[in-house]
Amino acid sequence: MNQYLELFHSQRNLLQQHSHDVLNAQRQAAADALQRQGFPSQKVERYKYTNVAAAFEPNYGLKLDAPLTTDVLPDIARTYYGTLANVEQDAITALNTMLAQDLLVIYVPAGERREHPVQLTNMLRSAVPLMQNRRLLIVAEAGAHVQVLLTDKAESGQDFLTTQVTEVFVGEGAQVEFYDIEDSHERCHRFHQFYAQVAAGGKLTHTTFTLASGLSRNRTDVMLTGKGADVLMLGCVIANGQQHVDNNTLIDHQAPGCQSRELYKYVVDQQATGAFAGRVLVRQEAQQTDSVERNANLVCTEQARMWTQPMLEIYADDVKCSHGSTVGQLNDEALFYMRQRGISEAEAHMLLKQAFASEVLAEVPLEALRQRLQALVEKRFRNCEDCRFCHK
Amino acid sequence: MLEIKNLHATIGGKEILKGIDLTIRPGEIHALMGQNGAGKSTLSNVLVGHPAYTVTEGSVTYHGKDILALTPDERALEGIFLSFQQPVEIPGVSMVNFMRAALNAKRKHQGLEPMDAASFLKLMRERRKIVELDNKLTNRSVNEGFSGGEKKRNEIFQMAMLEPTLAILDETDSGLDVDALRIVAEGFNKLRKPETSAIVITHYQRLLDYLKPDFVHVLLGGRIVRSGGPELATEIEQHGFDWIKEEL
Ligand SMILES: Nc1ncnc2c1ncn2[C@@H]1O[C@H](COP(=O)(O)OP(=O)(O)OP(=O)(O)O)[C@@H](O)[C@H]1O
Ligand SMILES: [Mg+2]
Repeated sequence: MNQYLELFHSQRNLLQQHSHDVLNAQRQAAADALQRQGFPSQKVERYKYTNVAAAFEPNYGLKLDAPLTTDVLPDIARTYYGTLANVEQDAITALNTMLAQDLLVIYVPAGERREHPVQLTNMLRSAVPLMQNRRLLIVAEAGAHVQVLLTDKAESGQDFLTTQVTEVFVGEGAQVEFYDIEDSHERCHRFHQFYAQVAAGGKLTHTTFTLASGLSRNRTDVMLTGKGADVLMLGCVIANGQQHVDNNTLIDHQAPGCQSRELYKYVVDQQATGAFAGRVLVRQEAQQTDSVERNANLVCTEQARMWTQPMLEIYADDVKCSHGSTVGQLNDEALFYMRQRGISEAEAHMLLKQAFASEVLAEVPLEALRQRLQALVEKRFRNCEDCRFCHK
Repeated sequence: MLEIKNLHATIGGKEILKGIDLTIRPGEIHALMGQNGAGKSTLSNVLVGHPAYTVTEGSVTYHGKDILALTPDERALEGIFLSFQQPVEIPGVSMVNFMRAALNAKRKHQGLEPMDAASFLKLMRERRKIVELDNKLTNRSVNEGFSGGEKKRNEIFQMAMLEPTLAILDETDSGLDVDALRIVAEGFNKLRKPETSAIVITHYQRLLDYLKPDFVHVLLGGRIVRSGGPELATEIEQHGFDWIKEEL
């Protein structure tokens, strides 16, 4: 951790020169918070399943002198930046806030509906190991609609470390759909800290597809702060090789009559590790909460590991809540049935895995994206070059 | 030609098949009858390579090939098809994707290119009509939520798609209503080529009236204890199995 603090202290001027005041204003506090906390050990509840220090241990290059391109919406940025992403409660959020140089703001004024999704593609390309610290802010004012699609890709076979902090403000009656698609490679390590707040009658859809990566760790915190707020959280993870994918979610029901739906499905193959910890918190004032949380996992080999920990904490008395998780293997009788029809073992496995993932796909609201994801998922199950089931 | 010689098989360490000998020439239909638990389904499962069973003795060849050395999918590609007594449901796998995978596996085995989407759907439609399988069913996941009879009909639909040379029908008639039985049986006859052979497992005469077996065998305690012509089935229908047991 010290290497990052040292970097900050020695390169601070360069960093500030190429960055905006809004970001610069919060750096010192973030550095202090990081210094105080250190990287979380695996004894820290929310970091039980991921070794953070090990991920940050290698020496990554950092590009600090990228020119500052534009300076738009400073008022929006000033109002919202860093207000959800609390540096005191998470060292990675603190590190990101200390080092982030660019802030991307998506702002939709009251009542405005964006007809087309906003697509952000991160394409990693580098000749040396590289670190990047990204920052995204989405503000949808009352009644606004916006769809944001974030795709992570890597062009060069290099070691990459990414931290990303996303803050989302869903105004009254506003609708935000956020799609996070990670399709990089086994040398990419990503920590995504997602924070959202949903006001009365607002609706947030949060979808994360981890198709390929090395290490993915997603902290997803959603606060339902106004009456009748609604969140749909979908996750689909396909992991093999040495992949490690850890989703840590919090849905915080703070107001009455809110609804939350959460479904995460993992297909964990070979030596991969998956972790899901989902906490649903229903506060005393959150009467008439309606919440369903489910995590289902397919573990394909003896070596593959899956940790699952759904948590439901209820302090209100008039609520409808359920949560559960399952860990299973491929169904032998179904496999045999397919093979009796001449379908090879590899193909039968593929069909069953796809069938497993299809439940999440079916829930994806954005039609065009759903079809694209369907194709990507199939491609992912077929392509894995070192996959023991592929005879091609 | 299928040749089963002195076949012994166990499940969970328990011997179920205790020396089966059976030869089926191309075009022949053999009915297999016998009381519950006699080992009829065991024989079908062993022939198609169900991993729960272990063959401890004997041999099975199909067109001269040792099929016991083949994987279940390789056996299927050799033309052996089992209409399961209890077809499994496969949620999330659509009938269309399932059939396409099966048909293309067969085509690949024959050195053919995968079938294009339009021809495939046309074939589905055509074969569906033969067994009068509802369009709604082929739009669902494999067997998911199908009634007992619909599942059986779906087995014969799959057979119609894959055109096996040896069909094993394990109680395909049970669960079918009278009309469905006629449709399925007539469908089977319509699809049948001169060289298609079949093992028809049933407890009742009715299906055999349609399929007209060349031979009828009685399986008892893991062995074929009696073989005869179609009249044997009629005798069993009338008198049950006790008289056969007594004669042993
Ligand atoms: N896993 C198992 N362990 C031990 N015995 C088994 C196992 N599975 C099946 N059996 C036994 O094998 C015997 C043969 O069963 P099989 O299903 O072949 O009978 P069947 O002739 O098809 O009967 P039915 O007419 O009822 O379909 C039965 O006694 C059954 O209980
Ligand atoms: Mg049986």
